[in-house]
This record gives sequence, structure tokens and C-alpha cells, in this order.
Amino acid sequence: MNIFKALTKIPRQVIYVVIAIAIMIPLLKPIGLPIRIMPKSQRLFAAIDSLGPQSNPILISIDFDPQSMPELYPMLVAVLRHCFARDIKVIVMSLWPQGPGLAEIALAQIPKEFNKEYGKDFVFLGYKFGVTAILLGMGDNIKSVFPVDYHGTPLDSIEITAHIQNYDDLSLMITLSAGDPGWRAWLLFAQARYNARVGIGVTAVSAADVYPYVETGQVVGLLAGMKGASEYEILVHEHGYSEGKRTAAQGMDAQSLGHLVIMVFIIIGNIGYFVTRRKK
Amino acid sequence: MNITPDPWIWLSALLTLAIFSFLFRDNILYQFAEHLFVGASAGYLIAITWHNQMVPNLFEPLFIQGNIVYIIPLLFGLCYFARFIPKIGYLVRLPIAFLLGWGSGAIIPALFQRDILKQTQGTLFTIEAFAKWDTGLWAVIMLVGVISVLIYFFFSQERKGIMKPVANLGIIFLMLGFGASFGYTVMSRISLLIGRLQFLLGPWLGIIE
Repeated sequence: MNIFKALTKIPRQVIYVVIAIAIMIPLLKPIGLPIRIMPKSQRLFAAIDSLGPQSNPILISIDFDPQSMPELYPMLVAVLRHCFARDIKVIVMSLWPQGPGLAEIALAQIPKEFNKEYGKDFVFLGYKFGVTAILLGMGDNIKSVFPVDYHGTPLDSIEITAHIQNYDDLSLMITLSAGDPGWRAWLLFAQARYNARVGIGVTAVSAADVYPYVETGQVVGLLAGMKGASEYEILVHEHGYSEGKRTAAQGMDAQSLGHLVIMVFIIIGNIGYFVTRRKK
Repeated sequence: MNITPDPWIWLSALLTLAIFSFLFRDNILYQFAEHLFVGASAGYLIAITWHNQMVPNLFEPLFIQGNIVYIIPLLFGLCYFARFIPKIGYLVRLPIAFLLGWGSGAIIPALFQRDILKQTQGTLFTIEAFAKWDTGLWAVIMLVGVISVLIYFFFSQERKGIMKPVANLGIIFLMLGFGASFGYTVMSRISLLIGRLQFLLGPWLGIIE
């Protein structure tokens, strides 16, 4: 077998090992490659940054599961840090059954960094099944959909939610979405139907699908995958809002090197393919 | 290196390695981890649906608060099980018809607004779009892209004359779109691997912070 034919038949196990090593090296010894902030991430940051203690609360919907944590959880942490640093009140909910577990982890850690108090500075509504009825119902009356919070306390007796009726009483809705139900439903019901301001954080797989909605202004801003999360972490850090751990930014060196290795394999495979085809 | 004594992190790490072992070949460790995941997910979903959905939205209002109206959704829901009894199997059509009717009425107007009206508006030339040369250029490219792709999917006329080059241009725009999607997909999969490696090297082995 000549060398070009061998290039088209590299065992997949070899490719996996090379990619794993390429990713592990920068995790062990960071290179510090620069991360450029994309305008779409900047726009979401600016939208939240324009709010303050007197603004209506922000609603964050955790529409992902543990499988998507590397991309979306750092977004949740960074957005929460930004909100708490600016004394913006936060309401958290989930359209995914696995969401409450992730919310509990984040809400046990981040509010403490800023001495924030449950009920006064943030509240967690929990998970509800049935996306259409939930999002349409919230446009009419949030308390009819979530009469009580995650811990069973009536929303009327919680400081943040006592005077909230519907989307009009929220500054911004942010969905951190790994699929359906997620950003499509929020755009469909909260934005298109009730004209609510919606910001989106998605896994990189979905990012290209969201682009058209950002261009038309239907979406306030977009965080795309681990790259978007790292950009937001850097924005929060550069503005002096938090010195907390930046998980996504730590992974970006590995991301870049992983892409480089995959590109090299694609080029090698193509060279082998075209040369062997020409010989035939 | 500072390996954790936490048994839960050990369990998580060993299950991660069991799943990764599939990259070499299918094996019993992978199958064990896969079945455990499917079983745990199903159990979790059933429990959370019961406690978050069935109890507060149906059983409490109906049986504890005595709100008789809730018997209607209960009967509608039970109609789904009619499929198992051939004689009354037709009853399943009732909840399906209700859901289809209600769902269509709720979704179609919003879908039209989100995907047709707003997206069409987005392709229109506005004075603001041409305030700067670069945004103006992007607006022109976007319009050309939308029209050429729409012509590519116009199958009622043979591709001759002007239709052929415009449709071919549409293919280029489509390929660019597919390329962007593929690139993002690779990025997403690499991110997942990074997340797991961060976990293995961090909380488990204690090599990185």
C-alpha cells in the first residue's frame, strides 16, 4: 500500500488519540491564544449592562441538560455574575426536567459570591412541562403558570415576584438552550407573540440556525457555544464584575488546537483521496 | 496530582471512561454505562413528571381541593389509553383532535410572524442598512443570497437562461451555510470532549484547577 492510500485509511482510533492529546496539552499547559469578542456576544452583554437595580428583573431559562454543560453552564455562571454585580434581580426557570439540578448548583454558588439573598435578589421557579401552554400562559400571567416557586413558596409572598404580572414586567428573557424546547419556543411565543426582548445562548450546533433571527433584530444578542461563553466570561472579567473562575475561556486553547488537528486530518485525507483517484 | 477521595466523582469518572471505551470498540463496560444512563434518565423523567406535573396540576386540584372541573382533562388524558381496547379505540381521536386544533391555532400565527414576516422584513433595504458601507454591502449580499436560494428551490421551470446561473449561485450560498453549520457542529463536539477532559483532569485527578 503506497503512502497516499495509507493516508485515506488512517484508523479512527489513531485520530481519536491524536485529537485527545491535542486537546489535553493546552488544558495542562495553557497557550493563551487571544479570544476576539464577537458583536453578537457584545450585544447581549450591552443589553444586560444597560440595566441596573431599578430595572425590572431578568428571566433566565435553563433549557439544557448535563450533556451540554461544557458549553452552556459557563454562560449561566457568567450571566448570573454579570446580573448580580450590577444588582439586577434574576428569576430562573427551566423548560427541561434536568434543569433544576443545574440551577441548584449555580444558585448555591454564584449568589454567595455577591452576598445575594433568595427572594430579594433572585428566585427559582423550577421546571414545568408543556412548553406551549407554559410560554403562552406566562405572557398572560406568570403566576397562573408558576403559582409557587421551586420550594413551594407562593410568588405573591416573594419580594421580586410579588408585583410581576407577565413578560411586560421583565427586562429581558435569556434562554440557554440545547435544543427543543428552547430558543425556538421562546422566539415563537415570548418574542413573536408578546414582543418580549429575548437573548439566546445556544450550543454551537444550533448557532447557525439562530443567526437569521439575530440579523433581523428578533434576538437581542447571541452566545454561540463554548466560544460565546468564553467571550462573555472575558467581558464580565474585563469590566471588573467578577474575578471568578473562567471555565470556558480555559477551554478555548484546547478548542483551537482541536480544530487545527481536525483541519490537518481533513487536508491529509483529501490529498490521499485525490492522488489515489488520479492514479486509478 | 491530587486525586479526589469523593466516591461520586470516582463513579462519574469511571462511567465517563466506560463511555469513552466505545471509541476503541463496543464492549461490556460501554453497554453497562449506556444502559445505566437510559434507565436513570427514564426513572428521573417519570419521577419529575409525577411530582411537577401530575400532582400539582391534576391530583391536588381534583382530589384534595375538590375542583370537579379537572375531571375533564383527566377523562381527556385517559382517552389516550383507549387505544389498548379495540372496541373504544376511536376515543383516542378526541384528545388528539383537541391538541391539534388548539396547537395549530396557537402556533401558526406566531410562526408566520417569526419566520415569514420578520424574516422578509430583514431582507428589505432600509436607509439604516446603508448608513455604513459595510452594512449596506451585507444587506445586498443577503438579498442576493435569499433570492438565489429561493430560485434554486423553484422547480416549476426548467433551469435555462438566467435561471441557471442564479440557481448555481444559490448552491454556493447553500454550501456556505452547510459549511458554517458543519464547522459549528465540530466545535460543539470538541467542546463536549473538553468539558469531560476538564472534569477528568480537574475534580478527579486534581492535575488542573
